[in-house]
Amino acid sequence: MKTGRILTHSIRELGKNKPRTFFMMIGIVIGVTTVTLVLSAGLGARRKVMERVRKFGLNSLMVSAGGGREMGGGTASLPVVTLKADDAEAIKHEIRAVKDTAPFNRKGDGMLKYREKSYTTRVFGVTPSWQPVWDWYAEKGNFISDDDHARMNRVCVIAPTVQQELFGEADPIGEQIRIGTVPFEIIGIMEPKGISPGGGDMDNRVYIPLSTFSRRIANVDHITNIKVLLRDRADMNRAVEDIRSLLRGRHSLAPGVPDDFRITTPVEVTRMAERVSGTFSLFLVLVAAVSLVAGGFVITNIMLISIGERRREIGLRMAVGARARDIRNQFLVETITITVFGGLAGIVIGIGGAFVMEVLTEIPVAFSWHGAALGLVFSALVGLAAGVHPAKRAAAIQPVEALSKQG
Amino acid sequence: MVIVETKDITKVYQKGTDVPIYAVRNVSLSISRGEFVAVMGPSGSGKSTLMNIMGCLDRPGEGHVLLDGQPVHTLSDEDLARVRNEKIGFVFQSFNLLPNTSALENVELPLIYSDRDHITETAKSALEKVGLADRLHHTPAELSGGQQQRVAIARALVNDPEILFADEPTGNLDSRAGYEIMALFQDLHAQGRTLVLVTHDAGLAGYATRIIQIADGRITSDKENRKTRVARDELKKMAETPEVNE
Ligand SMILES: Nc1ncnc2c1ncn2[C@@H]1O[C@H](COP(=O)(O)OP(=O)(O)OP(=O)(O)O)[C@@H](O)[C@H]1O
Ligand SMILES: [Mg+2]
Repeated sequence: MKTGRILTHSIRELGKNKPRTFFMMIGIVIGVTTVTLVLSAGLGARRKVMERVRKFGLNSLMVSAGGGREMGGGTASLPVVTLKADDAEAIKHEIRAVKDTAPFNRKGDGMLKYREKSYTTRVFGVTPSWQPVWDWYAEKGNFISDDDHARMNRVCVIAPTVQQELFGEADPIGEQIRIGTVPFEIIGIMEPKGISPGGGDMDNRVYIPLSTFSRRIANVDHITNIKVLLRDRADMNRAVEDIRSLLRGRHSLAPGVPDDFRITTPVEVTRMAERVSGTFSLFLVLVAAVSLVAGGFVITNIMLISIGERRREIGLRMAVGARARDIRNQFLVETITITVFGGLAGIVIGIGGAFVMEVLTEIPVAFSWHGAALGLVFSALVGLAAGVHPAKRAAAIQPVEALSKQG
Repeated sequence: MVIVETKDITKVYQKGTDVPIYAVRNVSLSISRGEFVAVMGPSGSGKSTLMNIMGCLDRPGEGHVLLDGQPVHTLSDEDLARVRNEKIGFVFQSFNLLPNTSALENVELPLIYSDRDHITETAKSALEKVGLADRLHHTPAELSGGQQQRVAIARALVNDPEILFADEPTGNLDSRAGYEIMALFQDLHAQGRTLVLVTHDAGLAGYATRIIQIADGRITSDKENRKTRVARDELKKMAETPEVNE
């Protein structure tokens, strides 16, 4: 009862010197604004990454030919010819954790021609298992069938960007196009997929049977990738090891010889995408920490000055019955209230700023409750840390001396 | 019945190697309920020091203070704060009101540190008693000096203290406002309040019923005042000849 009364009284006292209260808040406002901005932007970026990783498939992994670093980069420096469609069959049948596999080959610069128009896009040679393994289906018409694959049919499925480029609004199914010099019939259109984890347009491609690709487009029998779908994502690490030893065996790699393939898991995809935003966030968090600490020092100093000016008031309070700890609590409450309100202001400004930033830079933002809570907790802690010394000073004032000074 | 009693109290200030200053030297006195005592003496004679010790705002270097028969030197600082809160009221020369704070809130201040309820009502009735019922929401800047001092008196009375100490309460006021304050003190005395007025002015001491003179920290005389002046009479006289007094 009494304590509550002293607390509310202390908070009301703050409103009586607005400029001072304002200056004490600034540092905290800046600090918490930054924290909120960073965490909101960070959360937004993270969501975006997660969404892309989900497109890749959380329970799938990618085997790429060659030891190159680049994700799905196929032919890094030397063309690696050891990865074959048979490897995909072997992985599917010999490793229990694997549900299905989708071997494919691709070519970055396939020249498409439709009547007078031409368009360069990526050509993928795939098997029918592409659809279930990627969870990515033809939206209109049909996808490549077992029959197409077995008979090396010259059929293709185009993705939305290609459709847009060559046909606009017209229906392309049944139309003939040329890939290079080879004529193909369009049998289907893929559903849109958007941006890949690496940032590319996944809708800018054309699919043909892998057998047709090998024979008529690339004239090779090796492939660049095998997408592997697991039964359960918990088996990820085991599956990676099993696939590795299976492929090393099939490729007759002696111990000590490096892998001639590379396995990419969703964890690595996530890491890759987060590396960039992580460094940036760390820098801003440091900025925020510095401004919070600086804000804390400013508060301590203004508080000390203010206590010097309010010696008489403190003496008077003691004369009418305030205990030393009532005075100490009053000043602690004052500083903590200032920092918490500064923190709240920072959160509001930070959220506003985050949305402005989204509009200006297209970095996605998402409001982070954790960030807000963290900002408030830090504000209160800064208030406590900044207030302890001045509050002790105030509580140590001797009422007789404080009241005898003429002023 | 004795309210405050000092037993051989001494307070010495020593600054570095200077000669020690005896602000209060071997003072023994007692003040009973219902007395209106003036402590009179020249500047630097130790009046304020003595008052602060009797009011439990300061501790004597030597000797004891008894309040309501209880020794206070054994009490902790926290207990002394409680004693000041419940039993003692102070009025100072500079009114010591919180700036930008209404009269009502200023008077509520001692109650905030007490366990009492009905703070606002109690503060209001204290302001009514000093004739400021119509100034509850004025801040000090919006009040005259005399009114500010009356707010301070209301604040000193709001906890219904055993004894009221006033240190040069009219020092910052013009004569008319000063008489009004003295009239208020005489009213309070008539209602049974115990008052201690500290002043260097013999004229003001004349309104009290007992005058203690001190010099160099020692009591030089302690007498009943048989020819007590009446402040209301002075006010009446002033009303008749307003131009004489500013
Ligand atoms: N904190 C202190 N340190 C040193 N000396 C002090 C202190 N307080 C008071 N004194 C000295 O003690 C003596 C008594 O002071 P006190 O304030 O009690 O006098 P006073 O009678 O109230 O005077 P005035 O009428 O001017 O208010 C003075 O000589 C003063 O200088
Ligand atoms: Mg004095």
